[in-house]
Amino acid sequence: MFDLEKLKDSLISGDIEQTEALTEAALEAGVAAKEILDKGLIPGLDEVGRRFQEGEYFFPELLVSGEAMKKALARLKPALTKAGGATMGKYAIGTVRGDIHDIGKNIVIMMLEGNGWEVTDLGIDVPTETFLKAVREGDYHILGMSALLTTTIPHLAETIEALKAEGLRDKIKVMVGGVSVTPAYAEQIGADAYGKDAVDAVIEAKRLIGKS
Amino acid sequence: MNGLERIHRALKRQEPDRVPHFEFLVDKKVREAIKPGISNEDFHVLMDADGIGLPDKNTAWRYELVNEGERLYRDQWGALVKFSTEAGGIPQEPAIKSEGDFERYVMPDPDEDWRYDKLREAVKRFKGERAIICGATDIFDIVKESFLGDVTMFMDMIRNPELVKQISQRVLDYQLRYIKNCLEVGADFFFINGDYATTNGPMVSPKMAAEFLMPYLKAIVEFVHQNGALLIKHSDGLLWPLFDQIVDTGVDGIHPIDPEAGMDMGEAKAKYGHRICLLGNIDCGPLLTWGTPDEVRQATKECIRKGGKGGGLICMSSNSIHSGVKPENYLAMVETIHKYGTYPLEDHFDNLVIPGSGVWS
Repeated sequence: MFDLEKLKDSLISGDIEQTEALTEAALEAGVAAKEILDKGLIPGLDEVGRRFQEGEYFFPELLVSGEAMKKALARLKPALTKAGGATMGKYAIGTVRGDIHDIGKNIVIMMLEGNGWEVTDLGIDVPTETFLKAVREGDYHILGMSALLTTTIPHLAETIEALKAEGLRDKIKVMVGGVSVTPAYAEQIGADAYGKDAVDAVIEAKRLIGKS
Repeated sequence: MNGLERIHRALKRQEPDRVPHFEFLVDKKVREAIKPGISNEDFHVLMDADGIGLPDKNTAWRYELVNEGERLYRDQWGALVKFSTEAGGIPQEPAIKSEGDFERYVMPDPDEDWRYDKLREAVKRFKGERAIICGATDIFDIVKESFLGDVTMFMDMIRNPELVKQISQRVLDYQLRYIKNCLEVGADFFFINGDYATTNGPMVSPKMAAEFLMPYLKAIVEFVHQNGALLIKHSDGLLWPLFDQIVDTGVDGIHPIDPEAGMDMGEAKAKYGHRICLLGNIDCGPLLTWGTPDEVRQATKECIRKGGKGGGLICMSSNSIHSGVKPENYLAMVETIHKYGTYPLEDHFDNLVIPGSGVWS
């Protein structure tokens, strides 16, 4: 009987090599990939998220655990693909036109990937047309947009309006975030969800596709 | 009393004749809306700003053009940065991608004379009249943004702490030399920009802050003090869990007591007003961008009431007067400081917060 608690603890402590090795060992011991995920890795990452949101963990701890999760997922991927359920979904993310920092976005990407999302980074300073093109041509489940400056917040609304005008709004769920964005503003502009931080973004993304 | 004296007294927690103000950056759009065609320097005079800020990233760092169409540059540390349509450079690719990169790394030369041209101009025009405040970007910020990239930097703090410390030490050596040169040219004060926190809290734990952030900040503080100057530490975000550590480095002031992160000027004054000068606190987020002049006047009066007693307050925006700030809101802030910031503050307010009076509730 393989001890998945140990795997969970290894992920929580952010030990990348050990998490990878234990994932491999679990597979070799015959544990189903989905069970490794559901009983070891996901509860581990949930605990990391809880500690981050409660101020016990900070970016360094969050990111090494995210990296450990990513590495473990890569090991599980062949088995998960066979079982049909390799990814949570596809996520396109970008910082709207004219915006400044992308520290938040990098960390959100890392955490989404750690949680099994296939993420496309549209970059920073992304014009509305680029978001539209991604939605039009891609098969994304969620579009995430962030704005950190009050000057660029209006671009979030503009992009949502443009999606509507192009008949693309129903094709995708839209999440917004960033320092000056509030839940009320997200609702006002017709976004489907608001993410307060990287962990919240992951929780909301899962909720949006009905997997929470 | 002139601007230099006002800011000096405020940083020393002594009462000036009026609460001082200055801005590190006023976007051209805002300046143009208030007085078309005015130069940056003339604008600060028009606003009777008590200090002139010189951000090092804009005045003393070298950038080489890589791709004009994409607004892509290589900064002086070797990182690729993209300049967005409305703001400064955003890191795209860090300078150090492996330990080998750092072994071969050649630091830029802080002694290049051109770096101090803007400072010389400011000294020539304002020395002795208005405070000349040089930006000196925080070591943590330079290493994170230009040397390693944010995600790698945070992970290396756990996985490769020695590399982070080695790079930090080299950048510190550069920055101390830069500061020394600025002092020789005529800088009065230093402004250490670079965030330690986001709106939700510190980026790193207090334990890691003590190991990776504070030693370098403290080294800069001690160097500046040894040379007879004073220093302001800037960090946006919810800073309370690191506040004691920052104060303990010996900084003379902390900016901006970020209202968007829920930091309260009264709380800062009651707890720390007897130890440091407090700066900022006028929200350049929703308030200055979308608020009305009346709301700005109210917030400015509150800032003075809570933070002004006994000196130790410089009232200014919580980051900068960026392109989205309504010009009339910036003007309302400045007018209110001039009107309600004159000492004794008891002439304007009857319930001032007492510095060091204890726990704020």
